[in-house]
This record gives sequence, structure tokens and C-alpha cells, in this order.
Amino acid sequence: MYVNGVFIEDTFAEAFPMRAARIVVTATTLRWAHAAARALTGFATSVIACKCEAAVERELAPDETPDARPGVSVLLFAMDTESLDKRLVERIGQTVLTCPTTACFDGLRDEERRLTPGRALRVFGDGFQASKVIDGRRYWRVPVMDGEFLIEESFGAAKGVGGGNFLILGTDATSTLAAAEAAVDAIASTPGVILPFPGGVARSGSKIGSSRYKSLVASTNDAYCPSLRAVTASSLPDDVDSVLELVLDGLNEAAIRRAMLAGITAACRPGVRAITAGNYGGKLGPHRFPLREIMATSASGGAP
Amino acid sequence: MSEHVTLTLRAPLTGSIEAECIAGDRFATLGEAEIAKLSLWAGREEWALGDVFQVVGHRASTVRIVGDVRHVAAIGSGMSDGELIIDGNAGARTGLGLAGGSIEVRGAAGDDVGVGMTGGTIHIRGDAGDRVGAAPAGASRGMTGGEIIVDGSVGVDAGARMRRGLLFVGRDAGDRPARAMIAGTVIVRGNAGAEPATASKRGTLVVGGDLEIPATYRYACTYHAPHVRLAFVHIRRRYGVAIESRFFERPYKRFCGDAGTVGRGEILWLS
Repeated sequence: MYVNGVFIEDTFAEAFPMRAARIVVTATTLRWAHAAARALTGFATSVIACKCEAAVERELAPDETPDARPGVSVLLFAMDTESLDKRLVERIGQTVLTCPTTACFDGLRDEERRLTPGRALRVFGDGFQASKVIDGRRYWRVPVMDGEFLIEESFGAAKGVGGGNFLILGTDATSTLAAAEAAVDAIASTPGVILPFPGGVARSGSKIGSSRYKSLVASTNDAYCPSLRAVTASSLPDDVDSVLELVLDGLNEAAIRRAMLAGITAACRPGVRAITAGNYGGKLGPHRFPLREIMATSASGGAP
Repeated sequence: MSEHVTLTLRAPLTGSIEAECIAGDRFATLGEAEIAKLSLWAGREEWALGDVFQVVGHRASTVRIVGDVRHVAAIGSGMSDGELIIDGNAGARTGLGLAGGSIEVRGAAGDDVGVGMTGGTIHIRGDAGDRVGAAPAGASRGMTGGEIIVDGSVGVDAGARMRRGLLFVGRDAGDRPARAMIAGTVIVRGNAGAEPATASKRGTLVVGGDLEIPATYRYACTYHAPHVRLAFVHIRRRYGVAIESRFFERPYKRFCGDAGTVGRGEILWLS
């Protein structure tokens, strides 16, 4: 299959179950909502070392937020509910509570499984905290030096999907990076999905374990490193000199499929030779995203 | 099963009657004839609902009352589910002990609206009488949950001994609003009468108009109260009540009290 002259490999991205929370951060201005969200999602690229994966989902207009202030929606993923609970308390406590003018709300209110970071963080108020129930939801008012930090008591913990991915194989670094940027921009408008790596892009695709160091959980995916073409069993076509990967976490499979369709479509542009995906033969997780099946709905070009 | 049950007043009432039987969850399981046989009380005299109202519809949790029922008391008493819409004025004790569901009064309502309620919502489009959301006679606690929205003004003792929940008054409140509150939120968009929030232990009284701060409250600061903003946004979105921008843009003066109690209550006065 070709899309805009770019070869779509007959393979699939393999993903695994995660637990997800959607955190809505509002502030007096978008500047401060983003300031909190940036800190909240810092060092959260991969569960391998960061214990969670998080990124900004999208900006929210005042008519979309509970307190009618500008806001930012953040998705945070962890491997299980217990870990998600801990990460929420740690991260909201250190990055949103501390940020001037912010308030923090649950963005998954229909989820039955609930975590209670607001209840945990209320004790920062040292006994001066107070609760309010509005529209059937409990909020905690924690006194801080610029007034009060308001946080919803409970947050939904959804079943999410982590590790959706695709790799952009380009002829040169400039073209490949431009394609990756185009894909990131296209995915940005897809709700329910985040790209946790810096700028939405990872250059350090990994394989499970290491061929040399037994203690490593993951090591460089040498088959996709152009500089190793001459010394390893390379998977790269001859004219590919740069590869970038987009890793996607989503609230469900459908959201990841939509995002992959948008991202791959945008990435199929001049200078890109092929799109492929990372999988471990079905051993990593139950979720599969076959590239050609996803792209079949919008394939627009034939072979060059 | 019909879409809703409609009760149409057969003739104007001169005396007061008790209509605790009118509730959405009760009608949901009854046929038209069974609904018509439910009891109303005029003093010691027992009447049938069908004697006073023409009943149309059956087995529906949405109930519409057509006509001026200002003399019909205790409509929606103890209702736990369903929807009750009163097209005109309603009598005293509307929503007494309401546990769930919603009541909308498109006119004014009498005294003791939502007294002792534990959940659900009551929206009065006009004025309401005394003791809205307060404690029933002899009880230590007022409303313990749910929301009461009054677009107009209310009488005395609004939210007295309130334990939890939200009471919003679109215009003015009479004397002693939020008296002896235990917790919860009372918002008065207009003026508050004498002795506001006196003897309150916890809870919040928000006032947008004139107010005389009791001597037992101490000034703390002037700030933007995030929970007040949240409550106003909720009221605007859920109930369609117009809230002026000043309630969002201006800060509030915070007074803590009542010093005669545990003193964990607050009055927030729009500056």
C-alpha cells in the first residue's frame, strides 16, 4: 500500500493496557494553565523510567471548563490504578497546587472507578481546608498564599491504551523531522490521545532488553539506526538515513486509530520513503493497530 | 406508560390542602385511576386527588401541575426520583424532605420550601417564603443535600441550620439568612437582611448586595474565591440563571466567624 507515494508496511503497532486520568487545569490566564500543565507533564515520557506517561491533550476554552476560565486538558497514564493514584497525588501536589491561580478538575467524570487525589492533597491545608459540594461533586478548598487552591476530590481512572506507535522512515533528517512535525500537528486535534515524548516525537526507538547488557530493560533499536546499517541486521531500505517514532497513548483503541490515521496521513510527504510500526510479535499486549487496515479508509495515492 | 402525568386544577382552591402524595416516583408505578384515588387532606377531611385535579396520564415519573396551586402544600414531599413541574405558584412546604429528582415551580412558592431536603433540586422561578432550606420544626439540621435555586427573593431564616447543599437567592433575602449554619453554601445575589450567618459553625454565605457584617465576624482578606466562581458557573449553566460579570470579575471580602461558635464559617461579600 502507498499513501501519497509513501510505502505503508504490512505490519502493526502493538499496544498494552494502561490506566488513564484526564486532569483539567484552569487558571486566570492560559499562560498559568500552561505553566502548571508543563510542569505536570514534565519527565513523563515513558513508564520505563518515569513511572507514568503524560502530555497536554488540548487547550480548553472557558466555556469548556467547570469554572469558566481558560484551561488545559492533560492525560496521564500509568501501568495500574495504584500507580496512577500515586502519580496524581505527587504530580498535582507538586505542580498544580504550587502554581499561581490554578484550580484542578477531573476530566473523566463518567468513569465509575474513582481515585481521590483531592482528598489526599487536602491535608496540605493543615486543618484549615474546607470542602464544598457543588452539583453533586465534592471539591476541596486548600488555603494558599494567593488565596485558595480548589481541587475536585475524585478523578476517574479509565482503562487506557499505551504504546500505539508508528515510525517515519525518511531519506534525510530534515525531511523526516518535518514529516514528524506535520504528524504531531495533525494528531494535536484528535481528542483522547497524547504523544508523551518531547515535542511528540521519539528518536530513540527501543527494542526489549539488550544484546550486551543483561540488566537493561530496553536498548536502542539497532535495526532502525541508519548509522548501524553496515554492522547490524538492518531493517532500513538503502535510501533511508533518518527514522523518527511517534508513540501514542489513548483513552481507547478508537482514539488511537483516529490519531494514527491523521498522523500517518500528514507524515506521508516528500522525503519520506515508508511508514512502519513497532511490535513484539503480539507478546507485548493485546491491542494491535494494523497500519494498512487503518490507512485503508483514506489511502489516496498509488505506487510512485 | 405515558410520557408524563398532568394534573389540572378543576376549580380554584380557597382553603389549604395537603398533597404529599404528588411525587414523580410515586406516580411512576400507578395507573390513572390509582393516581386519582390518592389521598389529599383538607384539615381532617380526606379527599381524593381526582376530586381536586383532573388526572391525565399514568405510570410516568414526570408530573406536570397546571393551575395556581398556592393553597396546595407539601407537593413533592419525600420524592426520591422523577420530575415535577408546577406551571404556576406552589404552596408551602414544596419539596419537603426531597431526596432526589427535580421540582420546578414556574411561579412563586410559599414558606418552608425544601425544608429538611437531603438531595435533588428545587428551582423556584419567582419568590419563595420564609425558611427556605431550613430545618423542620424541632429538628437540629436544615437541608443536608441537594440544591435550591430561587430566582426571586426569599423571606426570613433562609438556610437556617443548613448542613450541606446549595441555596441560591436571585434577589434579596430576609433577616437571618444562613442563621446557625452547620455547613453548605447560601448565595444571596442581592441584599441580605439583618443578622446574616449569626451563630454559624461552618459554611459559606455569599452576598452581592447590601449587608451588615455581624460584630462576631472578623475581616480576613479580599480575594477571588474559586468555589464561589464555580458555584456561579454551575448555576448559570444548569439552571439558566443570568449572572452578571461582576460576580466573576470582582474579588470578595472574606469575614470569618461566628466567633461565638467554632468559627469556621465565612461571609464572602462582593467588594
